[in-house]
Amino acid sequence: MTAQAPRTAWQTALVGWVLLGAGFALLLWFIALWWSQTEQASDAQKLLIGTGFLLMVLGIARVANQFTSTRNPLISFTPAALTLLVVVVTAEALLRAYQVPPGLIPTPSRVFSTLLAVRDVLLRDAFQTVVLEAMVGYLVGCGLGVATALLVSRYVFLERGLLPYATIFSSIPIVALAPVLVKMVGIDWQSKAVIVAITVFFPVVVNTFRGLTEVSSLSLDLMRSYAAGELQQYRCLRLPNALPFIFNALKLGTTLAMIGAIVGEFFGANGQGLGFRIQIEAGRFGFDIVWSAIIVASIIGIAWYNLVGWLERRLTAWHVSFRD
Amino acid sequence: MSRVSPNLLPMLVVAAVALALYWPLMYLANIPAAQRALDTGAALPCKTAVECATQLRSPVLPSPQQLWQGFGNLMFPLNSHNAIPINAAVTALETIVGLLLAAIVGFFFAIGIVASRAFERSLLPWIVASQTVPIIAIAPMLVVLLGQYGVQGWIPKAIIAAYIAFFPIAIGVAKGLRSPDPLSLDLMKTYHASNWQTYLKLRFPASIPYLFTAFKVAMTAALIGAIVAEISTISFQGIGKMLAENSRASDVVAMWVIMLSSAVLGILLVALVNWIERLLTPWRRARLLAPTKPTSGRTEVSP
Repeated sequence: MTAQAPRTAWQTALVGWVLLGAGFALLLWFIALWWSQTEQASDAQKLLIGTGFLLMVLGIARVANQFTSTRNPLISFTPAALTLLVVVVTAEALLRAYQVPPGLIPTPSRVFSTLLAVRDVLLRDAFQTVVLEAMVGYLVGCGLGVATALLVSRYVFLERGLLPYATIFSSIPIVALAPVLVKMVGIDWQSKAVIVAITVFFPVVVNTFRGLTEVSSLSLDLMRSYAAGELQQYRCLRLPNALPFIFNALKLGTTLAMIGAIVGEFFGANGQGLGFRIQIEAGRFGFDIVWSAIIVASIIGIAWYNLVGWLERRLTAWHVSFRD
Repeated sequence: MSRVSPNLLPMLVVAAVALALYWPLMYLANIPAAQRALDTGAALPCKTAVECATQLRSPVLPSPQQLWQGFGNLMFPLNSHNAIPINAAVTALETIVGLLLAAIVGFFFAIGIVASRAFERSLLPWIVASQTVPIIAIAPMLVVLLGQYGVQGWIPKAIIAAYIAFFPIAIGVAKGLRSPDPLSLDLMKTYHASNWQTYLKLRFPASIPYLFTAFKVAMTAALIGAIVAEISTISFQGIGKMLAENSRASDVVAMWVIMLSSAVLGILLVALVNWIERLLTPWRRARLLAPTKPTSGRTEVSP
């Protein structure tokens, strides 16, 4: 083997696919074998699962390099999808091999069948949590955040008086605010929207302010020599400069908004919402429904994050980080 | 000191304005509730709605006197198991241990992201996704699982704190590892530096400022994780346990006091990171005193 010429990328990938397929087949074979068994698997079979997992990981490490150069988002997502497949199949095999009770950790197949069975309820929950609570709060919080940052960057007095508080506020644990706000505003969706708005507000202010003020002094001099007014300075220099910073905060905000809305529901909800569902079902060990709710929340969270990322690519395509 | 003083006066003015606005707001919010309480004939030691606004059992906004009293009730005696100091110390311990765990895990992920495109492509989407998973759902399962192996008490909470804190660290360190400018990387190449040397001599030092920025974000995240873990699992100590108890008992004033104390705890923990940063990177302090342009580097890490 050592004397051969260096293998081409194509050969490496082929080996990768073969490893992946072999590991996958191994695990599937075990799952099929153990589908209706009720006792623990033998040590040799557990070793088999480990081998299958290892083969698939090695396979992915070789295969993934194929997908790094494409620009098509669907194709470049393939390695991530394969990783998910490995984790799901391995988890299924391990849970079946060790006969973990479904009240503790349900198997992935059980979760998927539950997800299909209760999808209507979960979609209604997701509408309440995501559209009413997270989205409304996110839009309000981000809007107010950008507006505050504009004001703060314009008036030095506000910068000195408000910005230190913004940095201080960002180190406050938001969960502690949730019960107070729920008591104050009520248990309907508005209270959770307020929590989300407060959560996303401070990162947006701090980031936008940095983007508006970290302008190169050369560009500022240029604007001045053009006799540009304040408005023009903001429109042509400061805002474009701030866009990457704003988008960083917006992307961070999507996950914060989801967590804020879900955690807010733990302290009081009107009988709907993903957080409410998770809390209720976790309390009576219905972990298959809990995982289904988590899957729905994750899918929405990822989609939202990517939507903001897509907007960022559209609006700041000129930035260094997107050039090759 | 000369760096702080220009901020002091505006900060005080803003604080004074906020406090001055709080009184009328408090009355405005509480008077309808007080009127309702009077109408229903609740036993209150006051006659008019304006008087009652500061003495409600569960006010919309508590009055400063109520907050002061509640603070006194919950703070002392200092060594009581129901008082804030011990519970805050337990939560702080969980948070710091969680942060250290998260730093180790986050660092490995960051190196993986920077070193291998394959690693980034196959795992980064799921690292992002893991942050949208509500930890509270995982917390009880994790506690039961760890309990089977004899791990109990504050350690599961530290692990949950680490789970939520490792994301900002991984992203921040990855950003820092990519921050050296291409010229410096080219220089390393012309020196025929190995990959390992490039990391040790260029990328790690360049990532230190980003590391501490990430630590500040992660510290808050870890505190949130620890509190959520305490709320959602059986716990006998901690800020989260107090919060859950008083939320069930609908003690609004106590909830406000705990909220304010946890805010102070968060500020103190971040101040700790600031202090360590100044201790460990004295060259940055020297540079901060001289006027320099902050870095505005940004690395795309979205999937």
